[in-house]
Amino acid sequence: MTMEKITVTAEIQRFDPSADKEPHFESFEVTGLANMRVLDVIRSVYENQAGDLAYQFACRIGRCGTCAVRVNGVSVLACQEKCKPHMRIQPLKPFPVLRDLVVDRTEIEARLEELKLAPLRTHEHPGMPEPITPKRAEELCHMDSCLLCMVCVSACPAVEERPFDGPAFMLKLRHMSKHPQDTRNRLDQAVEHGMLECFNCDVCTQVCPADLSPAQAIREFRQELMFGGKRPVEGRPG
Amino acid sequence: MIPNELLVERVDVLIAGSGAAGMRAAIAAHDAGAGKVVMLAKGPRRANHTRMSGGRYNVVTGLNPNDSNDAFFQDTIDSGVGINNYALTRILADESLDRLYDLEEYGLAWDRTDVTKYYMSMTGGGSYVRTIGSVDEGIGITEVMLHQMHARGIRICDFHMLVDAIKDDNGRVVGGLVLDLAKGVWRYFECSALVIATGGTSQMYETNSGPTINTGDGIAIAMRAGAELVDIEFMQFIPISFVYPPSARGYTLTEPAHYGKRHFDPKAEAAHLLNNKGERFALKHDPVRKEGSTRDILARAIMLEILEGRGTPEGGVLMVPDPDVFDSFLKERPIYVKRLLENYGEPQARLQAPIQVMPSALYTLGGVRIDAWCRTSVPGLLAGGEAAGGVHGANRLGGSSMPDIQVFGRRSGVAAAEDARAGGNPPGAGLERARARAAELTKPLGASSGVRPPEVKKRLQKLMWDHVGLVRSGPKLEETLRAFRETREQVLPTVKVTNKARVLNREWMESIELENILDIGEAMAAASIAREETRGAFYRTDFPQLDAQWTANLWVKRDGRNLNVEKHAVQTRVGPQPTEPTHKAELTLGEV
Repeated sequence: MTMEKITVTAEIQRFDPSADKEPHFESFEVTGLANMRVLDVIRSVYENQAGDLAYQFACRIGRCGTCAVRVNGVSVLACQEKCKPHMRIQPLKPFPVLRDLVVDRTEIEARLEELKLAPLRTHEHPGMPEPITPKRAEELCHMDSCLLCMVCVSACPAVEERPFDGPAFMLKLRHMSKHPQDTRNRLDQAVEHGMLECFNCDVCTQVCPADLSPAQAIREFRQELMFGGKRPVEGRPG
Repeated sequence: MIPNELLVERVDVLIAGSGAAGMRAAIAAHDAGAGKVVMLAKGPRRANHTRMSGGRYNVVTGLNPNDSNDAFFQDTIDSGVGINNYALTRILADESLDRLYDLEEYGLAWDRTDVTKYYMSMTGGGSYVRTIGSVDEGIGITEVMLHQMHARGIRICDFHMLVDAIKDDNGRVVGGLVLDLAKGVWRYFECSALVIATGGTSQMYETNSGPTINTGDGIAIAMRAGAELVDIEFMQFIPISFVYPPSARGYTLTEPAHYGKRHFDPKAEAAHLLNNKGERFALKHDPVRKEGSTRDILARAIMLEILEGRGTPEGGVLMVPDPDVFDSFLKERPIYVKRLLENYGEPQARLQAPIQVMPSALYTLGGVRIDAWCRTSVPGLLAGGEAAGGVHGANRLGGSSMPDIQVFGRRSGVAAAEDARAGGNPPGAGLERARARAAELTKPLGASSGVRPPEVKKRLQKLMWDHVGLVRSGPKLEETLRAFRETREQVLPTVKVTNKARVLNREWMESIELENILDIGEAMAAASIAREETRGAFYRTDFPQLDAQWTANLWVKRDGRNLNVEKHAVQTRVGPQPTEPTHKAELTLGEV
């Protein structure tokens, strides 16, 4: 069963901003194991058919978050998405393209830096395990699984239309708002970065390769905004 | 722009590598007062090995009353079969806790069982419950460290590949030649200290567990600059990794699924491993610990079954997991449950059906030889993390790479800051050498015919896997060394790059990686030929026994085109460590 083979057609978007006026598609046929992923197809194209293809990956197991592309219009991690008989593979939108399937993340990284995600502490680490309830620690660790792959940002309809940084950034802010040692006002930051522009459509949660829910993070921020600005500090025990 | 023009800038501390070792070095250098600190990432900054890891961290927190720093030290020496650099191992055991608290201060919330009690378990080869971690695995560690980099305003250069360390006439490293892959231009960073934190060499093997960037660049660069490599014949293979789909082949399948109840109890049994005849072959190799044996023994046992024709059609063996541990597995490692579900199916994800597993290249045990403050024998050049050797000896405990890269990442940064204060190269030092090297490495772009880099890389990866991997022998090693030399002399000059455009030119990058792979491949093969015994992760079919005479280290140093392999006594002295590094720390390692 796992040795079964298939042949797929991949139409890959090619674009060199220094040479091309606009992107075009190039079609490739790839034969491989039936359980191969989109990344396997892209790698095979590079290795056997198009040595000039620009693409990005590192971990090939859904952890580095650097291989995200759009397949038939849907934002996915190439390494996790099962291949389909016919695929149109494009870079993530709405980011500028460096070449072919690789986007320029300069602005993304600048935004993350601007969020000042290091905890703003009022006192130094005690030099012993810092008190955090197990439940809160679990929640924080789960939220720390965010890959920053930008799949949710790429899929978000509000990002396209409104001044909204995007779901991943809200998730990161919510994460820090739950950190017992962080005293920065993360709600203010979320509002400043467009949190209220979210349509509440939940697409971000549906596409998240790490099974996180940026939509829930946004809902929690909104509740906090409407029903009181008290930071949840229950993670810091009495 | 003129094609081979160098864009020059001056920094104090230049760090190559964006994993935890590199980030910790950058943070430490900054905090120790270094002026301009710049960290280079070969790919996007998150494309690093730390992030892919399980993030498990060995540490003596006092929560297990039976454990102690002495026990951690001794466990590491035992696992390393006595050839560790004792001083480095001692530092690992003694500083692991402080670095753990650093990460907590940075914002990492370790998994807990109580408000101030970490969730603890066991990992490969350990004999104590000593490993902590968090459900995000290695991701959280890299994220909180990135936040600290930002808080300090440390510059991170994505898609910047260190290509060579450049020395002045006095033999001091005065700069780094860097290929800016995103722009396709050469850069030269004049620096007072260069830290190699580029990780390991897992990509030299056909089946591997690491990220695609880990082609051993920094180790090869250090060797070319004149530094010695130590224990480079030792490569750690993880026994339990995915067999399919192709993209995931070789990726670590995580130990809790394999360890079962042994994950929490040293006396319990691990999941049974079966060959295609249904035999528990591990019993032949370790009748006492059975499938709970160390990584080296299990990986070798599985590989021998596969090589001798008793594997599955897909090239693995079967692991029969314990469904009773599913709930704790799901809680501790949800990411892996998902991977098992997607790659293998629901019965396997629920630990109710046999799971196909195979060994895979995981961790480079050897590396650049360093002193206690990560200085190499070349002035101005430091190394830390997986790129450095000596901490783990012949085999590494699961959960010990995370403290290693924190502890020695920090030490390399502190020492680099000090060297940078003392340094002060004249402007333009090394520039001509850098320019000449850049011109040389741009040649494949101009070639009109020849062989493509990915083809050569695949050939080398297969040679490494077949003959310099889990099962080695003198004749095959000699043959491989000859093949490497032929590749260097006859194939490398004919390498061509398809695309003449320079932006994100993957083939160009790979053409540069090829030289690094060959440099280290030759060093590994040469050291493997010299070591006539079997020890830890190192197995010679023609010398299958441990030999006390080989409780020694091999240093490999390049002398022009030749490799010198020297046998040195193990450095067992654990002297008092200076609290602050002295500027000219002499290497006080063993004599011949």
